[in-house]
Amino acid sequence: MKIKHFVEKVEGETELEFDFKNGIVNNVNIVFPFYRGIEEILRDRDALDALVITPRVCGICNHAHLLASARAIENGLQNAGVNINLTPKAISLREFTLYCEIIQSHFKWFYLIAMPQLANLNKLEISDNHILKASWANINTVKALAIFAGQWPHSSYIVPGGVTCDPTYEEIIQAEALIDDIIKFTQNEFLGLSIDEYYKTKEISSIKGDMGIILSMLKNQNMQEKGKSYDRFLTLGEHSAFTTGIYNQSLYSDANITYVKEHVQSGSKAKSVSYDNQFCEVGPLARAMLRKNNFILDIHNKYQDSALTRVCARMDELINLLIYTKDLLANLNVKELSCTLSKLPKDLEANGTGIVEAARGSLIHQSTIKSGKIQNYSIITPTQWNLSNGLEQSYGIATKAMRGSINTQEANFIFRTFDVCSVCTTH
Amino acid sequence: MENYDKSLKKIFTKRLQAVQKLPKIDGSKSIIDILEEKGISRRDFMKWASYMTAYLGLSSSFVPTVAKAAEVADRLPIIWLHMAECTGCSESLLRSDAPTIDSLIFDYISLEYHETIMAASGWQAEQNLEGAIEKYKGKYILMVEGGIPTKLDGHFLTLGAFAKTGQDVAKEAADGAAAIFAIGTCSSFGGIQAAAPNPTGAVPLSEITSKPVINVPGCPPSEKNIVGTLLHYILYGTLPALDAYNRPKWAYENRIHDLCERRGHFDAGEFVQSFGDEGAKKGYCLYKVGCKGPYTFNNCSKERFNQHTSWPIQAGHGCIGCSEPQFWDKMGPFEEPMADHLFHGPFGGLGADATVDKIGISLLTITAIGIGAHAAISAVKPPKE
Repeated sequence: MKIKHFVEKVEGETELEFDFKNGIVNNVNIVFPFYRGIEEILRDRDALDALVITPRVCGICNHAHLLASARAIENGLQNAGVNINLTPKAISLREFTLYCEIIQSHFKWFYLIAMPQLANLNKLEISDNHILKASWANINTVKALAIFAGQWPHSSYIVPGGVTCDPTYEEIIQAEALIDDIIKFTQNEFLGLSIDEYYKTKEISSIKGDMGIILSMLKNQNMQEKGKSYDRFLTLGEHSAFTTGIYNQSLYSDANITYVKEHVQSGSKAKSVSYDNQFCEVGPLARAMLRKNNFILDIHNKYQDSALTRVCARMDELINLLIYTKDLLANLNVKELSCTLSKLPKDLEANGTGIVEAARGSLIHQSTIKSGKIQNYSIITPTQWNLSNGLEQSYGIATKAMRGSINTQEANFIFRTFDVCSVCTTH
Repeated sequence: MENYDKSLKKIFTKRLQAVQKLPKIDGSKSIIDILEEKGISRRDFMKWASYMTAYLGLSSSFVPTVAKAAEVADRLPIIWLHMAECTGCSESLLRSDAPTIDSLIFDYISLEYHETIMAASGWQAEQNLEGAIEKYKGKYILMVEGGIPTKLDGHFLTLGAFAKTGQDVAKEAADGAAAIFAIGTCSSFGGIQAAAPNPTGAVPLSEITSKPVINVPGCPPSEKNIVGTLLHYILYGTLPALDAYNRPKWAYENRIHDLCERRGHFDAGEFVQSFGDEGAKKGYCLYKVGCKGPYTFNNCSKERFNQHTSWPIQAGHGCIGCSEPQFWDKMGPFEEPMADHLFHGPFGGLGADATVDKIGISLLTITAIGIGAHAAISAVKPPKE
């Protein structure tokens, strides 16, 4: 039996074609009916134009794209023998703004996706207050980001060699105050626990607040047993808060970008991505596993890579990053240089790769620059990793997780635990 | 002036009375009730209204009228469509910008169809859209985000179970609309997907309907420009005064350059020569590192983004010209000054009127030469230490 299901309310539209066998989901074909051709548009443009064009791939992780495009150019310059010495200030500011983007995206997922969808699954009525909470948390998180980046979405303050802003102490204090407010909100509304209590607790059952509601709804749906995929995780982007590498059924090893390969999928406008010909999950759970985060390792021990574990990893990442952004601000030395690279040569020849951890996982930009112009540009987005359809022999990550679901509603929720974004996937 | 205000107020009052007679979409609660429920007092609401009044260029005696306009907004159904885009405009409107009251009004009032925030999804959502178009035929306000792909008969973007093309959905929705707003540069002018070589044949909304389209460009536009355009429609019941590219004049009349906080440095010939240099530390003018402020019509220098927090120029990066037609092709390279690259887009004139386009461009070209010359002279004459 085949059933088509449309996932809207994502950024863009996704189509899931379910194939049922004996009353359970046997296979799912994921189709993104949307294409814009950003990579084609980038060709023959000035090398630096990638900085402003690539963020337009996605209105939600636009900042990750900005950073990836700057890193691709910097990596290309390094490969061509140019020294890039970013100041600690430039690095910290880039990290701070990137983490703010991840935080706001996670809040949005919990309040705009998880809350209403889980309530639906559990046949519960919830107040529409969650939209306002999402809105409040987002407005303030991106406001802290915008103090340094100028605006969000689509900021443009990162350039090869550093950043363009020169923050004053006053601006740093403003950002700190905003982050403090968000921490308060997280304690009072989101967790129902103080951050200290959160770090002390070893049990997810002691979490209260909105997250407590979400967790209990997940347990009601038996989500600790569902949504399991290959238990294979990948983190590629280098950041102070994350650890790169690959985890494959309890074995850890270093990751190497040369194993990453894109495959064209028939019938969908998105390409699939594999690492060493295997599919890997990217995103908050992958990052927690590779960081050997004890809290998540414990949950993983009990429930493997289930939907519940995935959601807990997203929650834990949100909190860890929130606390970490405060450290970044506290240690910022405003006297350092913002940008250490002057103008690029007009006839620049460079091949480079820029990798960034975005909210949904590893984002890769690869650029080939000839005579100062972009000859080729390739973008691999996080959702391509998780939402690929699979190759002949193996199912994609999300498809594998959805297999065995008893109805489309449940499968749809499992699909959403990967944090779907369609505009990103197709670009 | 007093007489003018009086007659204007008469027009507004008449219009608002007419709107008020329309049935409420959700009869149970008024906007004021909803705001109060969410902890926003009447006083906060009036503060917001006085802000919007100033914003629309009206005198302070209009504050109650503007407040009234917002209160009756729940009589006008809005349909918001997503075409080929990145959802950045919705992000700007609903979540990242403020005053939050703007977002509230959009979140809770008469937004009949908005994919990102509505509760329904899948089949139900599609029915909502068709139902809304049918039910409010001739009465609803259509807001479209994103460019419209036309190549392959529009199959680069399909929506819903019957794989309707974006083009067909937009056309149908435009046919029954009382007023049409193109939100963001993609919908106004085609945007990034329409940049050369335009792989999907993306066109602006104005090219697929013969009805007038008000363009609210920007990548993203500020939410004040979106809400302001809506309030203007509620107050006047007519389209606002528009410029050659169908942008509301009250928002897009001045250049970024005119009110830029770094303008004094431009006039004094003090420029950032490369990012991270001494000039950058001192907040000098960004023209030489690619700022397109002198050629861009928008109010960012006054309104900024994210609750007036900041804007690109404050963060030390030039304006990229994102509210101008075909800026992706005409304004690049984006990190270099315009002077060497006078407008030579790969397309002819799109937008409202080709003739006006040409005049507009030649006017801008003269300005560009002037600005370029000024920057060149100042390079010879080193800025004072």
